[in-house]
Amino acid sequence: MSAHRSPSLLLAGLLAASCGEAAEDGAASPPLAGGDTTIQNRTSNAYSFPAPNLSEEELDRHLDGDVAFEATFVTPPAPVNGGLGPRFNSSACIRCHIRDGRGPAAVDAGAFGSPLLVRVSLPAGESAVPGGPVPVPGFGLQIQDQAIWGEVPEAKIRLDWIEETGAYADGTPYALRRPLLEIEPAEGIELPGDLLLSPRIAPPVFGLGLLEAVPEELLLALADPDDVDGDGISGRPNFAWDVTRGAPRLGRFGWKSNTPTLLQQSAGAYADDMGVSSPLFPEADGSHEIPRETLDAVTFYVQTLAVPARTAWTDPAVAAGEARFRAIGCARCHVETLETGAHEVAAVAFQTIHPYTDLLLHDLGPGLADGRPDFQATGSEWRTAPLWGIGLAQTVLPQATFLHDGRARSLEEAILWHGGEAEGAKEAFRTMDRAAREELLAFLRSL
Amino acid sequence: MYTRIAAALLATSLLFACGEDEEVGAAFDDRQIVVDYADKVVIPTYELLADRLAALSTSVETLAGETTPANLAAAQQAWIAARVPWEQSEAFLFGPVDFNGFDPALDSWPVSKNDLDAVLASGSEFTPSFIASLQETQKGFHTVEYLLFGDNHAKSADQLTARELDYMKAIARELADVAGELAASWTTPNGGQRAYRDIFVNAGAGNSAYPSLSAAVQEILDGMIGICDEVANGKIADPYDAHDTTLVESQFAWNSIADFQDNLRSVQNAWLGGVPLAGTSGRGLSDWVASVDADLDARVKAEIEAAIEAIGAIPGPFRDAINDPAAYPAIENAQQRIRKLQTTLEEQVVPLVLR
Repeated sequence: MSAHRSPSLLLAGLLAASCGEAAEDGAASPPLAGGDTTIQNRTSNAYSFPAPNLSEEELDRHLDGDVAFEATFVTPPAPVNGGLGPRFNSSACIRCHIRDGRGPAAVDAGAFGSPLLVRVSLPAGESAVPGGPVPVPGFGLQIQDQAIWGEVPEAKIRLDWIEETGAYADGTPYALRRPLLEIEPAEGIELPGDLLLSPRIAPPVFGLGLLEAVPEELLLALADPDDVDGDGISGRPNFAWDVTRGAPRLGRFGWKSNTPTLLQQSAGAYADDMGVSSPLFPEADGSHEIPRETLDAVTFYVQTLAVPARTAWTDPAVAAGEARFRAIGCARCHVETLETGAHEVAAVAFQTIHPYTDLLLHDLGPGLADGRPDFQATGSEWRTAPLWGIGLAQTVLPQATFLHDGRARSLEEAILWHGGEAEGAKEAFRTMDRAAREELLAFLRSL
Repeated sequence: MYTRIAAALLATSLLFACGEDEEVGAAFDDRQIVVDYADKVVIPTYELLADRLAALSTSVETLAGETTPANLAAAQQAWIAARVPWEQSEAFLFGPVDFNGFDPALDSWPVSKNDLDAVLASGSEFTPSFIASLQETQKGFHTVEYLLFGDNHAKSADQLTARELDYMKAIARELADVAGELAASWTTPNGGQRAYRDIFVNAGAGNSAYPSLSAAVQEILDGMIGICDEVANGKIADPYDAHDTTLVESQFAWNSIADFQDNLRSVQNAWLGGVPLAGTSGRGLSDWVASVDADLDARVKAEIEAAIEAIGAIPGPFRDAINDPAAYPAIENAQQRIRKLQTTLEEQVVPLVLR
């Protein structure tokens, strides 16, 4: 598998492309989505390259992290990669974050394990950490529906989809689908009547160091929790629990911004998704199955994956779509440009980036609501999803889908699911004529 | 380390790519190369894999029926033969092999010996649905390898237990089935989408996966470069740098050197547009590059051959070579040859094809 990548390939490709284009039509370069971490690649590898501005030593660390990200864990004790389970969702980071991108919205998917996982909690009770969701006896905060040989998974999960139909203002019909979960708990686990649950797909992992490097003040300045400016868009920060500091901290990662740092996000995924303990989330006796170095390597890896540059940005339809994206208000939450600040990883510090997110929570209405609060996020609030690289989602993984539970089979469907604060923007899209909709989608595909 | 080499060459490539005296020639527009890559390289390689894994399954059945030294040797040979097309497919580890999970289903590593021992000790019947429910790390190529060759390459027919034989029959059959699905995967519609082959060969405006022909060619080149990098800097470097035999690929069969050579043959097949073992030939990137820069094409061909030869010069088995100072020069020479090819592809071929 592709654990090793040479950055020189990318740079050569980047240079060749940019010089070639300049020679052909004299057009300016596209805005560099990830600043100096941007690469030129529109293949299925597009999310998997190291940032081209890493030093030699950093590149070595990145490649070590790449190996760890691909490592398949097995039942302990074992000479190589022991520590899986006993219960888990999948056996390697890469099995859900496929080619460093999205995971398929599927459970019990053969070698992938269950790349769609189900978060659970109770509406009241004692939370695991201050301000966090309340664990469910037998499950915790996540159902682990896979188990190593001889152990019993916490539940059997069945995923079905319910279709509903709608129509654009011009009469063109569309179909949307929502997930229907059937949970059959293991013997000895009771399904509480007031169980809150939320299915989640694995998000892409490139560009995350840049998002971590956006100064907190900048994000808080974008927030407008009480909609003081009266534009119908609030934007609320989520303050999640920082395990390392033992204190609340601005959340940035996860579908509800419920995790403050990539270190904690990575350790959480090892612990909850793979059943692998680490110094951040050790076993009851304090021991752990991976050392701090592995955790650091994987954290560094996701901090330093390059962001793919836009394509076809000079196409008139793409430019028209971009103007519509702004005009109907998408960019009020999907903020086009942010500046990063200081960060321990120099490559991601002080960059001008185009992630199309504010990392804040927005109420997207009852259609998308999971009814499961997570720290300050309500059951109908979601973090604005970054849109950079989204045009490559189905190049990287043809069966990739969108939104937190992967219900949207296309970008069109993803837009149509927006409600709440985004109802106006959604309606503007729904009532556009077909040509205008196509332009907006062409813009998204150029990202 | 290769990163230093890459960084040094990067400076050169800057000069080449944007030098004022550079002549920009015609952009790559040879769709037949992309078509033949799919039809004459990728699909025939997977079909050969399916045939050879079916043959392995038959050999294992024979071995289980009559557990003789000759039948064990035959099954071991069938495993090695099936390994060839798999390793020759690793210059194209994209598409269904990856996104449908065929790669982990066929080739997961490491083998979970705890789970394997436990399942053998259990009373479970090895039905197809039972086998399908197991972790991929207790089946696939490497579990069959472990059962056929043993820990120290010293498996004898009389050591094979009835449970091991039963289990091996079941997982060899599953391997053959998975390979059959893989062979069909490029030409079978996927969910609501066109077959992957049709998406790939129709790269161009309006294609949402590959919006230009050069995106498809970039995918081909990325695959070739990726496996060079993987062999030199992963498959060889990881166990060699750590002098750790547990990190060696195909360590039970002592087949690592053949694996690495077949990886480079995969690059060769992608370059030339055909698979000699499958009797296919078509138009390859080599043809287009030769028409623009015949020297470069000749250099790539020679460097592929030199890399294959240098890998073959490592004294086997590789698991011993990594701890034998007398073998170190040969190991490092093989790495250098592969890196040289990789660099030529990165610094000369990619800029030419994607200009």
